[in-house]
Amino acid sequence: MFEYVESAPEEALVSRSARGDEQAFGVLVNRYKGMLYSMACRLMKDRGRAEDAAQESFIKAWAALPGFKGESKFSSWLYRICYNTCISELRKKRPEVELDEAMGVGVEGPAEEFRNRDIQAVIQEEVSRLPDDYRAALTLFHFNGLSYDEIARLAHKPMGTVKAQIHRGRALLKARLLDRVGWDNLKEVMWQ
Amino acid sequence: MKDEGMKGERDRGRERETETANCGQLQSRLQDYVTRELDPEGRRLFDAHLVECAECQRELALMTAVVSTLDHQPVLEPPPGFGEKVLASLPRQRSYVPSPWWSLALAPLLAGLVWLFRAPLEHGVAALLGRPVVSSITIPAVSMQQAGIAAAAVVGLGLLVAAGGAVFCWQVYLRD
Repeated sequence: MFEYVESAPEEALVSRSARGDEQAFGVLVNRYKGMLYSMACRLMKDRGRAEDAAQESFIKAWAALPGFKGESKFSSWLYRICYNTCISELRKKRPEVELDEAMGVGVEGPAEEFRNRDIQAVIQEEVSRLPDDYRAALTLFHFNGLSYDEIARLAHKPMGTVKAQIHRGRALLKARLLDRVGWDNLKEVMWQ
Repeated sequence: MKDEGMKGERDRGRERETETANCGQLQSRLQDYVTRELDPEGRRLFDAHLVECAECQRELALMTAVVSTLDHQPVLEPPPGFGEKVLASLPRQRSYVPSPWWSLALAPLLAGLVWLFRAPLEHGVAALLGRPVVSSITIPAVSMQQAGIAAAAVVGLGLLVAAGGAVFCWQVYLRD
């Protein structure tokens, strides 16, 4: 009998899931729930909607698994489903929501306080303020570890556009970090 | 001797290049430097320039902080019970996905049916066109029994392939 342990080979789990084995699919959900939820949080900037999107992505994956031919990595295939689900949700008209507080930190306050705050938290907060396209490209590249080529195919965009979005996104983050914290404060934190 | 001369010339060329490479040129490749996508020659130029340029050192520190943060974004855990909720929401029966088996089964099935019902079909088409029935189908000189056996064989083949398709679909798509 097949033992569904966390270390079960992914290929076997995918194959069993494609034939309708919910137990095998449960292991895959457990394995990828953090990645999909984090990805959805970063793309959608709202934990509630991100949870819905991640759940919907898994259900879509379950339905589409019989058609998964293994031409790409299972993880890339799953990220593509999650990306499309999130983008489709983002395109729906919705009231503009405030940034989810849990996604970032407040950084207003006297300059002296910046010294004790985490620069990473400031950058994370600025990531959530980037245009959707830039944020998506940066998330897929840095968080999901996809290549330029994989992102281009997934997002149906030319590779040059993807590269430009990633470069512009990083440049914006750098400029905003400098604007908000100031070089003198950053220097002390970075080089202390 | 000639090689040494050329090497010397190359080094002097690089020095000139380093001297003339300005911040703007190098900063456009700053991200590639940080993400290690820059070619070795580009890295060498950048390193040489960094030693004496405070502005580029600052830009490098900032970009390194950005890239490092992006590379080490934490994995966020979904709320407790997320996995169970997903599994409880899975449809009990997967939606029907057409299989190539069905098209294989359809061809002989259709051919057999057309052959069996050729007479009423011919009458129907003639009635639709408002013309008298003029059979263009040349019936081979075989007995009705032989024709029946041939038609039954074709339909049987179609049913067999369809049954294979059904078993395949059940195994792949519908089994819980």
